Amino acid sequence: MEEYAREPCPWRIVDDCGGAFTMGAIGGGIFQAIKGFRNSPVGVNHRLRGSLTAIKTRAPQLGGSFAVWGGLFSMIDCSMVRMRGKEDPWNSITSGALTGAILAARNGPVAMVGSAAMGGILLALIEGAGILLTRFASTQFPNGPQLSEDPSQLQPPSFTDYRQYQ
Amino acid sequence: LPASLGRSCLGRWLLATRGWALLGTGTGTGSCSCLRWRHQPPLPLRAARQSIGTQAGGLRAEKPGDNSKDVSVQRALNEETLVSAAQKVKEAGRDFTYFIVVLVGIGVTGGLFYVIFKELFSSSSPNKIYGDALEKCRSHPEIIGVFGDSIKGYGEATRRGRRQHVSHIEYVKDGLKHMRLKFYIEGTESGKQGTVHVEVKENLETGRFEVRYIFVDVETYPRRTIVIEDNR
Repeated sequence: MEEYAREPCPWRIVDDCGGAFTMGAIGGGIFQAIKGFRNSPVGVNHRLRGSLTAIKTRAPQLGGSFAVWGGLFSMIDCSMVRMRGKEDPWNSITSGALTGAILAARNGPVAMVGSAAMGGILLALIEGAGILLTRFASTQFPNGPQLSEDPSQLQPPSFTDYRQYQ
Repeated sequence: LPASLGRSCLGRWLLATRGWALLGTGTGTGSCSCLRWRHQPPLPLRAARQSIGTQAGGLRAEKPGDNSKDVSVQRALNEETLVSAAQKVKEAGRDFTYFIVVLVGIGVTGGLFYVIFKELFSSSSPNKIYGDALEKCRSHPEIIGVFGDSIKGYGEATRRGRRQHVSHIEYVKDGLKHMRLKFYIEGTESGKQGTVHVEVKENLETGRFEVRYIFVDVETYPRRTIVIEDNR
């Protein structure tokens, strides 16, 4: 179990925003490099210059969109955690839906609902994958501690530590 | 020479020519009915053009270009019927692969949805039990006295800092399923952290889990243990 010296939540927003930007910029960079390469006149110099121009123009845009999505999602997530007082998969799903809705706000209410549904479903899938992975990882270590006795804190209350699981 | 033909929707007249056998009829009232025909040799373009000019009653709206399009379409149709069986097999194989990919995608998505539904909505999921235990903690006067009014709960910290996973262990004892959970609570008073241990046992009649004990370890010095519920 890792101890965090400080609360993860407000700093998590910056973390997620930056991570999303990096993902978008790198992915966009690769895509735009290939696209720019192919859409340039014949000749390696031309093509390389074409890729570079495409990367310079388009990759930051994609990174910016991703960063907006990630930052908004994390902000709403942290607000929900603060409001509800507990950390749940429900927070992520609702945050995803609200993020989708807010980012489609320019296109009217119907588009907001559709975007919210997409965001919520996407986050639900991601959460499901995360839960699956955790369950898988925990079954890799079949030797759990022996659990035949009740913990000693119950009766009588004592001050000894009884560490049952990792 | 065969007369012109067009797929004319203005047709009040039937065209029947040597190489052509009309199968459909154009109605007398002139509504748009497509004349279907079956032809053996492809029609020469020129003859079509010429015959338009000589057609009695005139089909002015039918441009020669239309005829050429019809002819080329018919030519293409004719050639397509000669497509080889090998191509058909290739196309069928490609469609089949796509179908398999779609099926796999649907299967994976369905599996993920099932997992998340079970986690959020089933009453025997660790998340639900954690929620119920947290509610009980929040309404216990001694806990409120130690930790303050608003109590927040969280589970194990993952690498990214999200603390959604509640550590739990399931085991079977005397033929009944037990589950133990551990999560942490924190109150408004600074520095006070607590560890909540919950154990639930399966009740065979109702099929749901019922609580065996809930107690909280407060991380003060000296340590303190608050027992919320003890149903052993």
